[in-house]
This record gives sequence, structure tokens and C-alpha cells, in this order.
Amino acid sequence: MNFMMFMVAILAALLLVTAALVIAKLIGPRSFNAQKGEPYECGMLTHGDTWVQFKVGYYLYAVLYLVFDVEAMFLFPWATIAGELGTAALTGVIFFLGILILGLAYAWRKGALEWK
Amino acid sequence: MREPTIKSIPYEEFTDNEYLEKMVADLNEKGTNVIVSNLDAFINWGRSNSLWSLTFGTSCCAIEFMALGAARYDMARFGFEVTRNSPRQADMIMVLGTITHKMAPVLKRLYDQMAEPKYVIAIGGCTISGGPFRSSYHVVMGIDEIIPVDVFVPGCPPRPEAFYYGMMQLQRKIKLENFFGTVNRKEKEPEEDKE
Amino acid sequence: MSMKDLILKIAPSATFEEQGDFVAVVSKEEFRSLMEKLHADYDYLRDVVGFDLVESLGALYYLESSTTFERVAVKTSTLDRENPLLPSVCDLWKTAEIKEREVYDLLGIRFIGNPDMRRIFLREDWVGYPLRKDYDMDSNPLNMTNEQNADTTTEVTLTAGGDFKEVQNQIFGKDDFVVNFGPQHPSTHGVLRMRVHLDGEEVKKVDPICGYIHRGIEKMCESLTYPQTLALTDRMDYLSANQNRHAVCLCVEQAMGLEISERAQYIRTIVDELQRLNSHLLFFSCLVLDMGGLTPFFYGFRDREMILDILEDTTGGRLIQNYYVIGGVQADLHPDFQKKVKAFIVHFRGILHEYHEIFTGNVIARNRLIGIGKLTREQTIALGCTGGTGRASGWANDVRKHHPYALYNKVEFKEILHTEGDCYARYMVRMEEMLESMHIIEQLIDNIPEGECKVKTKPIIKVPEGIYSASVEASRGEFGVFLVSDGGKNPARLHFRSTGLPLVHALDTACAGSKIADFIAIGATLDYVIPDIDR
Repeated sequence: MNFMMFMVAILAALLLVTAALVIAKLIGPRSFNAQKGEPYECGMLTHGDTWVQFKVGYYLYAVLYLVFDVEAMFLFPWATIAGELGTAALTGVIFFLGILILGLAYAWRKGALEWK
Repeated sequence: MREPTIKSIPYEEFTDNEYLEKMVADLNEKGTNVIVSNLDAFINWGRSNSLWSLTFGTSCCAIEFMALGAARYDMARFGFEVTRNSPRQADMIMVLGTITHKMAPVLKRLYDQMAEPKYVIAIGGCTISGGPFRSSYHVVMGIDEIIPVDVFVPGCPPRPEAFYYGMMQLQRKIKLENFFGTVNRKEKEPEEDKE
Repeated sequence: MSMKDLILKIAPSATFEEQGDFVAVVSKEEFRSLMEKLHADYDYLRDVVGFDLVESLGALYYLESSTTFERVAVKTSTLDRENPLLPSVCDLWKTAEIKEREVYDLLGIRFIGNPDMRRIFLREDWVGYPLRKDYDMDSNPLNMTNEQNADTTTEVTLTAGGDFKEVQNQIFGKDDFVVNFGPQHPSTHGVLRMRVHLDGEEVKKVDPICGYIHRGIEKMCESLTYPQTLALTDRMDYLSANQNRHAVCLCVEQAMGLEISERAQYIRTIVDELQRLNSHLLFFSCLVLDMGGLTPFFYGFRDREMILDILEDTTGGRLIQNYYVIGGVQADLHPDFQKKVKAFIVHFRGILHEYHEIFTGNVIARNRLIGIGKLTREQTIALGCTGGTGRASGWANDVRKHHPYALYNKVEFKEILHTEGDCYARYMVRMEEMLESMHIIEQLIDNIPEGECKVKTKPIIKVPEGIYSASVEASRGEFGVFLVSDGGKNPARLHFRSTGLPLVHALDTACAGSKIADFIAIGATLDYVIPDIDR
């Protein structure tokens, strides 16, 4: 029964997204001019190259975020049924969290959490 | 013709009704069928009650616009909920304040970058004809020299109530448009007309 | 030794203007040495006013000492109209960098030694110099092509052999990542365009490009009569509208020797302070809006509407009020004025704590404001940052205290000074100034004397020949009016000291090393209004 609701939810999501895009394409206005394709920069034209060297800080920020976001994603399903699963699962999760906390502590020590 | 209704203000109390009647007469020359015109009315009702404007304030009128967005003259209750910063997400541009020669290309580019259907409200004397700065060397004497304007709201600066009047006139104009066939099928710009 | 003797000692061939303010006229050869000697005592350059007096092109320099508050003015000119050159003083007073650019833009005078001689208000491909008397008003029609902004600028230097040489200076390098905080932006408080050189998130250099709301007000004033020029003053810094008008009225009244009635003085002072409250409330609202908080924005506007109601009863306008005239005020106060003002003050005093609860104590606001954008006292003086910005760094520059006008020498109020010079100090200065404004109003509101609100003036107002100036403490800083009159009914040159131009110039200094989010916070706390910069 739980799976049926899950399937319905996925189908509804797919349907809504497709419908929004298709209906917009069918009945929406069409207009083309050269300016619509330009990147927006507060009304001025862009100047210079866009392929520049980016600071590595952005990459570190993204990687750290990704790791902890995935961790959170794993914790949510466990959290919903934590009561039923008992202590064995709890120790497993604590072990999982412990490894990630070690990683966080290392990043903190190395200064990756500050923007330089 | 169907009369555009604004809640609690009778049709007769608006000025410029002749302009709207003429616009409807031009649109109705071709004739439309009943289903499409009801769908038109429905879509136009939705569009006119949720016009989001681009943040574009150059000078004094912009402060009255901020007062319009604040708690006393709350424009969110009209559907003008937020102002979008990017022209691609905005429905209309309220030109608030004097446009100078230096700013004119910027305004034109922002107007071009907006997605259809888009509207322009010219607020204040400066945008209508140059206002108090008519003898200046650096002011555009009326923005309809550079972009097409739908509604003019005179004043220096106009009171927030005057802003509302202008916005309601725009809403009435939108409610009368034919969405299918006119607004959503504007001609493609010819390929050689590039900036 | 008097000022006159001091100047004659350094520049023996100096003369002095007979009428109007005390202005020393020196030739451009002796000008530089005089300024170097004066710099030791007079460390605040109020303004550089370029002028065109048909035979000669020149500039007036207004100096003030930040410790003794004495003022002195120096005038210099050149007869060469093809290639006018004057020595620059930007190594003595940093604010001259941007003020000399304005003089170059509008009059064509180039300054020897200024590292950045670009136009500031007009497009880089503009032909001609508008403030010159022989400028053709139709010579530059509307040009819709995209403006190209150069990355280099020229500097005129003096070589050892006595010739002039033009040197190219680089503004942005080829590999710099430059982003436009463009004219259409929600957080720039108007149409200011800043080209910002970014290194990741860090701001390395800020190059402001003004002029997107340059309406040519100073040129227009030369063809208007004095009462007509008042129509345009409200529209410059519209949040200090009445204070701007006060400055022009003061200047013309002092020049004509006109005494206005006591009642008009009371009215002017009270309305000035209401205007200041109005402006600081808007400062608060826009600051929190820029930082991302939408709720306190409504708080500020809610109380501001009450002030606007009071002013609208009397003047008829909410933002543009057209109230002061030469000789007094246009119309008398509304009968309910005193009652409403007193009710408002009681209400506002009771509600001000809400502002502090929602924003000042907030941990995010504190982290984003404390320690950010520090400006030292010497930097603010060199940059000419008057108003709350200067007072937050410890510079006592309140014109109401040190050069009193209207009734400010008769009321008792504190000049709010902080020393940290960061964004938080600038914010707190304005919040505390609101309390002082209310204190001033309370002292005056019950004692308004009877009398006429406007003195009779001649139908055509003519100011006697000479150079006159006046300054007031507008909500954002010192707003000055500099008038060169030739005895007729139109001013020969009317210049307004912008409160915001030095503040925009200070952005580069204050933002060095900050991140983009801090850059927005610094811009919001410096509190400039763009139409005031561009005039």
C-alpha cells in the first residue's frame, strides 16, 4: 500500500512538470530578438571573456556541501523508523556519523570552512 | 463588448473608456468563437491580477513606489506582489523617474530582454515628456521615444493613489486583450533586424 | 596674522574678491604652493567648483579645517580655452580626484597630476563641455548605441623640461574579472553603475560610473531665475528636499541681506528635523532590505507615512514639497501641525525599541555590520565624507553645530560621534540622530512665535555681484550651495555640493578586501542617493 502511494506521487510529479512545460510551449507567446539571447548584466553588455580562472574556494565549498547533504539524505529515512529498528541500527548509524564527523573535524582544522 | 470590471469601481468612473472601446472594436473585427473568448477572459483575469514589475527606479518616483509597496498602500493586494530583479521574470516595467541619454540604451536593452507579454507604465512627468527638466541637454523627452508605453501616469511625483489608478487602467487593458491569436502570437522579428 | 596677510605672504600677487565671501584669487603659477601651505591647517576640501566666466575658465576651492572649523576659499583660473590646464591637488586631498573629474567633464579643464582624467557623468563619446557658456545645447542628440567604457585613463603630467605629457594609466588589467553592478540593480539606491574587480568573492577595486540620472540641473539653473531654481532643488536629494531648499534660500537671503521672520525660522528648523527623521527612517528600511530582511522595511515605512501626513497637511506634497521660498516659507502651518507633531513624537519614542529588537540585536545583522568597511577619521576627512559617515569615524562635522544657521544655535542637542568607523557605527549614528532630532523638535514645537511666514521680496530677485556660499546639514552630509552672481536675475554659476559624490568615491577605500555581501552592506550604510550625486 505504501508503494502505491509512492507510485502515485511520482506519476503526479512527472505529469505536472510535463503538463506545465507542454502547455506553456503550446499557448505561450513567441518573440525573438537579439537581446533576448544576451546574458543579463544589469542592462549593460558584458565585457571580456567568461572563461576565467575560478577560485578553488568555490569548489571546496561545493564538495563539503555535497558530502553533508548526502549524509542528511541517508539520515532522514532512518530517522522516520528509528524506533522500530532498535539499538543495532542505532550503533550502525552512530558509526556512520562518526566517520563523517572525523571528516568534518579534519576540514575544520585545515581551515576549509573559512573563506580565503 | 465585454466591459473590463474592476472590483468596486464602476466602469463609468474611469476616464479613457473610448480608448478601450476602440481597442476592442479593432480586435473584434476578425471575430472569435465563444469557447476561446471565455478562455481568453479566464487567462486574462489571471494575468492582470498578477503583474510583477521589474525593479527599475531611477529617481524620486521610485520612493513613492517603495511607499506603494509598503504597508499603508499595499500593492500586493492587487497582485503586484513582488518586483523581480531580472527582466526575464518580470511582466511589466514601471519606469519610475527621469530617463537620461546615458540611461536610455540600458532601458531599451532591459525592455528587449523582457519576455512577452510585457507592458510599460510611464510614471511621472519626466517619463511622459521630460517633466521639469525639459530644457536639459541630457534628458529624454518622454520615454515613448524609445519604448512603447501602455499607460501614462502624470504627477511629480504621482500620489500612490494615482499609481493605483494607472495600474487599474493597465489591468482593464489586459482584460480586454485577445490572448489566443494576438498576445501569444506576435510576429517573429525579421532576422535582419539585429542590434 | 589675519588670513589675508597669511595668504599674501605665501602668494604675494594674490588679490581678494571685493563683494560676497572672502575669496583669495591667485594665479595658477602660485596656486600649487599656496595649497600646499594651506593643506597643513585646512585638511577638509569642501568642494571644487569649476566655472566659466566667458574670458577665463577656472575653479574655486573651498577649504575647511576639521579642528578649528575655519573656512577659506581660493580661486584660480586660466585664460586658455583650447587646452585649459590647472594643477591638481588630489595628492593633498584625496576627494579632489573625483571632484576634478567632474570639473573636467562639465567644463573641459584638465588637472595636471590627477591620475584619472575621465569623464564621470557624461558618456565617454560625448562631444563638448556642457557648462561652458558657448555650449550648443543640441550638439549631442540621443545616442542609443552601447557605451564602451575604456579600461585605461589618461593623466597629464609635467615633465622635467616644463612640457606636458599624457600618460596612460590602467584601471583594470586584461586578466581581471570585472563585473557590473549595473545601473538597474535593487541594492544600489538608484542608478549607480559600479565596475567591480573581483577575485573570487573578494572585491579588489571599485570603479563607480555615475551619470545615469545626470539631468543637467546646474546648467538649467543658469537660465532660470532664482525662485525658479528652487523648483529643481527638491528633486536632487529628494529625501533631504527641504534641507536642500533651505541651503539655496539661505545663500540667496544672505547675499541679498534679507532677514526672515522668527516664525519662518522656527518653521524651517522644525520641518528640517522632520525631514531628517523621514530620511533616516528610509535609510533604516533600505539598509535592512539590502541585507535581506523584509519585515523591518515595513516598520520604517509605517512611521515614515505618519511624518509624510504631517508634512502633507501643511505643504501639499509627500516627497516633493516646494515649501521654502526666498524670504520664508510658502504658506503658514496647518492648524493641527503642533498637535500632530507632538502625537507623533510620543508614538515614535514608544515604538523605536521595536526597531532595535528586530534588527540591531540580531546576530546576523551584527555579524554583517560590525567590523566591516572601516574608515578611519583621517580617511573620511581626506575623502570629504561628511554626514553620518564622518561622524561614525570620529570626525565632528555637523554643520548645525559648527556653522549654525536657522535656530540651531538656540537649541540644545548632542552631536553623535562614534569612533569605530565600521558599518555598525554608521548605522547607530543615524539611529541616535533620530532621537536628537526629536529632542530638537520638542524644544521648539511649543514656542513658535506669531508673525508672518514670508517676508515681502521684490518681484524680480537680483543678487548683487560676487561669490556667495551657504551650507546646511542635510540628512546625508553637508549640502553646500555656491553661487557666482553677476548682478542679474539669473545665476552665472550655481553649484551644489553633492553629499553623495565623496561617499561613492569612498567605496573603493572602504571595500578593499571585503566580500560582495559586505560591499552591499557598506554601500547601504554609506547612505548616498544617486540623483544628488549626478545632479
